Amino acid sequence: MIPTIALIRDTFREAFARRIFWGFAGCCTALLAFLVFIMRIDVVAGALATVSIFGRAMPTTDVQGLVQQTQSVIAMAMYFFGMALAIFASAGLVAAVFEPGRIELLLSKPVSRTRLLLGRYAGNVLVVAANILYLTLGSWIIFGIKTGMWGAGYPVSSVFTIFVFSVLLAVIVLIGVLWESAAVAIMVTFGIVIVTLILAQRATIERLLSSEWSRDLVRILYYVLPKTSDIGVIIRHLILNEPVDSWMPVWSTALFGAAVLAAGILHFRRRSF
Amino acid sequence: MPDYAIETENLTKVFSTRWPRRALTAVDNISLRVPAGSTYGLLGPNGAGKTTFVKMLLSAAHPTSGRAVVFGRDSREPAARAPIGYLPENHRFPTYLTGWDMLDFYGALSGMTSSARRRRIPELLAQVGLDERAWRLRLGKYSKGMLQRVGLAQALMHAPKLLVLDEPSDGVDPVGRKQIREVLHALELQGVTIFLNSHLLAEVELFCREVAIIQKGKLALSGTVLELTSGSGYRLELASAPETLETELRARARAATAVNGTLSLLFATREEANHALDEARAAKCEVETFGRTRSTLEEVFMKTVEGE
Repeated sequence: MIPTIALIRDTFREAFARRIFWGFAGCCTALLAFLVFIMRIDVVAGALATVSIFGRAMPTTDVQGLVQQTQSVIAMAMYFFGMALAIFASAGLVAAVFEPGRIELLLSKPVSRTRLLLGRYAGNVLVVAANILYLTLGSWIIFGIKTGMWGAGYPVSSVFTIFVFSVLLAVIVLIGVLWESAAVAIMVTFGIVIVTLILAQRATIERLLSSEWSRDLVRILYYVLPKTSDIGVIIRHLILNEPVDSWMPVWSTALFGAAVLAAGILHFRRRSF
Repeated sequence: MPDYAIETENLTKVFSTRWPRRALTAVDNISLRVPAGSTYGLLGPNGAGKTTFVKMLLSAAHPTSGRAVVFGRDSREPAARAPIGYLPENHRFPTYLTGWDMLDFYGALSGMTSSARRRRIPELLAQVGLDERAWRLRLGKYSKGMLQRVGLAQALMHAPKLLVLDEPSDGVDPVGRKQIREVLHALELQGVTIFLNSHLLAEVELFCREVAIIQKGKLALSGTVLELTSGSGYRLELASAPETLETELRARARAATAVNGTLSLLFATREEANHALDEARAAKCEVETFGRTRSTLEEVFMKTVEGE
């Protein structure tokens, strides 16, 4: 356990030194400060009295609707923009481990290669998770105190954001092990995200395709690749307290992540440095 | 404890490319035994395969065939690396860590507890000559010599039984080199096996008892430094030898020179040299030197490398 903790702590230290952690934390703090000081919500006897931003009164519906919509906007921004930033930042953190002169020393320690890679992976997930939880829980508490709305959907949604990031990080790890390049890892990961966003419209795409084999190909790609768009929809449903139609996007994405991470570990174990 | 710290059996590493004909054999069938508690030097020109050999000992590179054993355990087992302390040549220590943090990190990877690390770190940093101001300084601000010192401390962190050092005094000033040598000598006295990979032949000759020379991936020569540097003849140097004796000895010697009145003679056998010594004594000649000829490790190295 001592080596695993050391690897996780080292990832945090590197994230601190590269200003990645503080950059994320700064953005989150700015948003939380906005919610605390700028956005003013007055609730009178359970009903919304006024909502004002920068002192200007905004048109409103009801308390629950307003809170859920705002939380949904924050969660979606974190899911897409925050995720993009996290991918940029993490690619460098993973590739740095494979630098000649650094990897040999790590491999000379009595730690298995699997543990070395998983320790770094876990450290990276925790760096991003710490910021996501900071923003989500911070804003959830602020909304709760200001409006008395403590719905569980919003904090639970952050778990799904962390989960999708951990799946995409597995891709970054695999590319890092294969090519030791942060740039290639970023390109491939974003490529996958873009393809999955397109594949989310598979019903429309299938209608446009003339041959059966091309429709099959779209279906296969859809089921094999992570379902970033569909999980975004699930997150929104959770926050708005709506029923989730299917959990298939979650478990199939988990399978993809596990397979890619296993491939990364397998290649890392076989590789000579 | 096993008799050998390192044993390799037909260790081979072939770096394959997409084109089979271009495959590069970096290490070719090397069988080597490094006795436990010895000081062993690995020599060879650039690209001879020394670093690949060391990487296979540490399991950073996997052998194509053969195997490496460290204190009786296959080097591929993580536990086999527990008694090894390693200082790589072109190390790239994380620059965001301080000297203290670096030792703490690598100590933890070696399985040391937090309290054991806290006890060991100040002791080691002082031992390698880094003052307290440097302990809290980020490695990015360290000089090359300071990095070597902290790198050595890192290798010693978990009190290893085998120390594998790749160019340990690279970039270190002469005072620092002496300090490092003293640290290594102290470890040698404690029974730590020291495996030194260095280009500095004089350093290896000064410190190692045994050496191996690798050339083009193959083991070209191995043995004790004493054996390898002992020459094949005997030297006798005489001051003010009478002319008749000089002529007589010159005729029997394999080689002879006279510089500033000192006659230097080289004999092929001990008997011939002793006979000449007796005659010189009888003629009341002053003996300057008498003994077996020796070559330097550099001469042995050059002969081995150029002889290929």
